[in-house]
Amino acid sequence: MVEALTHPLNIFLFGLGGSFLIPLLYRIAKPLPAMIFVLALVGIAAVSGVCLWAVYHGQPVLESFTGGSAPPYSINLRVGPWEGVCAFSVNVVALLAAWHLWDRLRQNYAAQLLFLLLIMGVNGMVMTRDLFNLFVFLEIASIATYGLLGFDGTPAALTAGFKYILATVLASTFFLLGSALLYHVIGTLNIDDMIVNRALIAGPIGTTALVLVLSCLIIELKPFPANGWGLDVYQSASSGVAALVSGVVSAGVFFALFKLLPLFENYLTLIAVSGGITFLFSNLAGLRQTNVQRMLGYSSIAQMGLLTLALALMRQLGAEASMPLVVGGLFVNHLLAKAGLFFLAGAVNRPRVDGWSALAGRPLTMLIFAILLIAIAGLPPFPGFWSKWELVIRVAAAGHLGWIAVILIGSLLEIAYMFRWFKQVTHTVEQGAIDVPPGHLLPAGLCAVLLSVSGYVAANLSGAASLWIFAPLGAAAFLCLFDWLPGRLKSFLMLITVLVLGIWIVGPVEGIGRLFALLLLSGGLVIASASFYRADPRPGYYPLMALLLLSIAALLRTRTSLEFFFSWEMITLSSYFLIAHARGAYPHALPFLLFSIASAFCLLAGFAMAAAVNGTIDLSAFGAAGKDAWPAFVLLAVGFLIKAGAAGVHIWLPGAYAEADDDLSAMLSAVVSKVAIFGLFSITYLAIRSDIGLDMAHVMGWIGLLTTLLGAAMALRQTDIKRMLAYSSMSQLGYIVTAIALMSHLGWVTAFYLVANHLMVKGILFLAVAGVILRTGTRLLEENGGLVRNMPFTFAAVATALISMSGLPPLAGFGGKWLLLSAMVEKGWYGLAALAVLATFGGFLYMFRLAYTVFLGERKARFNAIAEAPLALLVPQYVLIVAIFTLTFFPKLFMDPVSAAIDPAFASTLVWDGMSLETIYGYWNPIPVMAITVAIAMALFFVVWLRYIYGYRRAPTTGVTVFYAFYQPVLSRLLRPVAIAFWRGISDLTLSAAGSVRKTYTGDGQTYCLYVLWYVIAIYVTGTLIRS
Amino acid sequence: MGLPISQILLVTGFCLILIGLAGILVHRNILRIIIGFSLIDTGIHVVMVATGYVTGGTAPIIDAAMDKADGATNAVDPIPSALVVTAIVIGFSVTAIMLSFAIRLYDARKTLDIGAFTESKW
Repeated sequence: MVEALTHPLNIFLFGLGGSFLIPLLYRIAKPLPAMIFVLALVGIAAVSGVCLWAVYHGQPVLESFTGGSAPPYSINLRVGPWEGVCAFSVNVVALLAAWHLWDRLRQNYAAQLLFLLLIMGVNGMVMTRDLFNLFVFLEIASIATYGLLGFDGTPAALTAGFKYILATVLASTFFLLGSALLYHVIGTLNIDDMIVNRALIAGPIGTTALVLVLSCLIIELKPFPANGWGLDVYQSASSGVAALVSGVVSAGVFFALFKLLPLFENYLTLIAVSGGITFLFSNLAGLRQTNVQRMLGYSSIAQMGLLTLALALMRQLGAEASMPLVVGGLFVNHLLAKAGLFFLAGAVNRPRVDGWSALAGRPLTMLIFAILLIAIAGLPPFPGFWSKWELVIRVAAAGHLGWIAVILIGSLLEIAYMFRWFKQVTHTVEQGAIDVPPGHLLPAGLCAVLLSVSGYVAANLSGAASLWIFAPLGAAAFLCLFDWLPGRLKSFLMLITVLVLGIWIVGPVEGIGRLFALLLLSGGLVIASASFYRADPRPGYYPLMALLLLSIAALLRTRTSLEFFFSWEMITLSSYFLIAHARGAYPHALPFLLFSIASAFCLLAGFAMAAAVNGTIDLSAFGAAGKDAWPAFVLLAVGFLIKAGAAGVHIWLPGAYAEADDDLSAMLSAVVSKVAIFGLFSITYLAIRSDIGLDMAHVMGWIGLLTTLLGAAMALRQTDIKRMLAYSSMSQLGYIVTAIALMSHLGWVTAFYLVANHLMVKGILFLAVAGVILRTGTRLLEENGGLVRNMPFTFAAVATALISMSGLPPLAGFGGKWLLLSAMVEKGWYGLAALAVLATFGGFLYMFRLAYTVFLGERKARFNAIAEAPLALLVPQYVLIVAIFTLTFFPKLFMDPVSAAIDPAFASTLVWDGMSLETIYGYWNPIPVMAITVAIAMALFFVVWLRYIYGYRRAPTTGVTVFYAFYQPVLSRLLRPVAIAFWRGISDLTLSAAGSVRKTYTGDGQTYCLYVLWYVIAIYVTGTLIRS
Repeated sequence: MGLPISQILLVTGFCLILIGLAGILVHRNILRIIIGFSLIDTGIHVVMVATGYVTGGTAPIIDAAMDKADGATNAVDPIPSALVVTAIVIGFSVTAIMLSFAIRLYDARKTLDIGAFTESKW
């Protein structure tokens, strides 16, 4: 009985039976059709679910023969693993769409009928093994879609629907002609028989037939540029119908292509090129969209292009084993995420992108929105991420680097317009806020839940799922549950969670990773504890902070490049959302994200190329990489340098650091920036043991110092304290990059020393500034002044940090600078050493300005009554000061483990092999080096001072402020915003290209028909050329 | 004996398809465009029937006059005809739905010029 009920053919019984009953029952009683509709739809979903369950649990493929005879004398339908997953996911989305559309469906029994037929048609397309039957189901689904489009009523929707009909009818006409001719050539309509005898499909008729069928399927998937009709429908149809067209109908067509792919063995390159062009150009044109649904349409079309590309490439490379992860993952990801976004767009009901600021301050809606966007962008932890990784790895292994570029550039463009949309939500506008009722939010919310589940399944498929790698997400989800608690309690919970889980995650880490883990985890906790100074609830802030800190911990534990990349992306995402949290940060969060993603994509390409050379994704294999691996190393270095804010690609940094919440700035600068350093560290650390040349190290050394110099010069120009510290951070990271680039034992010990020193110093400075801003309410240097009497403890902390950072004796910074200069001299990089001295001088100048202008100088009258910074801010600062003193007076405590971690990995490449650090200290005589440094710095200061005295006579003003003001014109002549102009130019160029591309879509139905025809002819001509 | 009937039918069918395509691309009136689609449909139906034709073949009925072995060579292939019946039904419903759209479009704009329906673009 149960077996009879769950027979796959019941899907059609439910579909057809329901459709016939609905109009009949409407005559009897008005509510009956709705009941039948729900029953039939749930029945279809349940049957497909049971079939999938059966197949999953090892039952052989479910074959249903019709008419009591075996194929080819009858039509057979099949449910295997692929069909099961596709049909079930489509049916689940159909249920959600019915929920979403319920207000309209309930009143209109004809719409219910069409809806049911559409779903049944798509199920048929998925299951049938007969070519003509496929055509019939395609037509059933299409006609039902036409009908649903007609119900929307608005003239725009009708027009769009008509264009859609014109194009798809033309396409299916070709399918009909093609399948008739195929039958003529091969004598069967059974797809399996055709695949077996595919060698018989030859000659002009056979080739033409094949090309016609292929063109229909490609056209139905809306290839660029023959897809204007699809875009119009996405834009003007109601959101539920658009979701059906984008997810469900496309799924059926895509599955048909998947099913028939063995027939198109000779056309795989053609299919891949069509998909690649569509992916790239649709995402490009999407950049200029302001209408939400049309933008989703561009993304939808692009995703189908990516799917087609992935399908053809995987087949071509013979990577059948990766098919479920790549094609299945991308398919489910797009289906759920795009349907969810359309549902959300319908529920929010703001047709224009800029109207979405009305959602600001609605945590639940924003969470769902963010999850769907992250998923569609192919970012972790959702299935698209795992699929894209596997796809890129496979493609790289085959050496098709061009395809990697297409996939990554297209993805970057898509992320750009998707997150520009999200930017609106982070932009608080006071009026016009809306509340979406939970019932309307449910379909989108369920899509988000299903995406999370399928993300875990995909992670399992890719072999990366382990408890510790998902622990950060688990912790964040756990903290989300308590997001209603008061702010300080949440902060406490977050700290406890991070402490416990963090120690557990980094437990097995050894070597350099352990040192970084110790430093970043403890530093992160100390700085995160500063959040006690704010009592407001900060919705979402604490879960994200836990995610950020634990992801950093997880990154240090990673053993494979996949795990590394996953954690890297999690860090990027959590810091993006944290930055976007701040009120003023909304224009700066997007550049931060885009540069971070570009950096991540460089890493992805680098890892993929390395995996192709090494034959494994184990990070340790880098050490054994041959000379061929150098492009991979260059890409990885570029990726890490972008994230470290190296000169030229630094433009994301000042805005993000300056506009983030004040305590978050401390975290970003002190802790998060070190993640890029860790990456650079590990990669160069592995690179030195491989056979690749080290010429690029010298280049990196120059980049590092250039960054230092530029950072220092720009810091000098700032009038905003936080911007100044941001540039200072960039400048300091430049030193560390240079130290790493030395590629010697001493260089790396130095780098680590500098990392520790910078973490503490920047932590103190940003937290101190947070206190100042809290009390005075301004970030501008000149508006503050004379706070030393009000805030003595803050001043003491800043002074300590200043001394330590500028490299003045006796604090830790002195040791760091000394080590760096020694290492450079040892290496013979005298030019760089001279630059380092110059930069040190610049660093001292701006730090002195900060301390002087804010704390000394003249006190403004309105600051007379302000108090010292709250204890919550002071305690972390003083903990860090204690750390600085420890580092200063007991360097052995710190240096021994560092040296030990770095030592054993080296054999003969290092000068310092075998010596403990004490010997190094003893061997090197610091006095001459330091004496020269101090002398040069003094001389420089004297020159600058003289120049000032000389100029001062002509500009009769006084004070330290004037000293700095005097040098501003010189600096502004020296520092042109070249980088900003360059990146703005790139952005303008891309946008104008997007503007030209989208002009293809004239809106004229006849023109669209012409495009379709041209596209078919193009496929025909290239297909014939390939064949011959 | 001149050309076999199937070849005449094939030529006619393909000519109809081309005429239909030209109609779709040349005429701006929606009703004429729909007629173009009908012509393509009809053309394809004719082509399909023609592909199943066996010169000198009889009706595909297995009975006393024709056993199964003869059927493969002497009878007209029945499958294309069966397919055509389905295709005609589908073509009919597609035409019907296109016409109903045309009516609604005319109601909305009081014109059937396809150039008047370009509000969504780019």
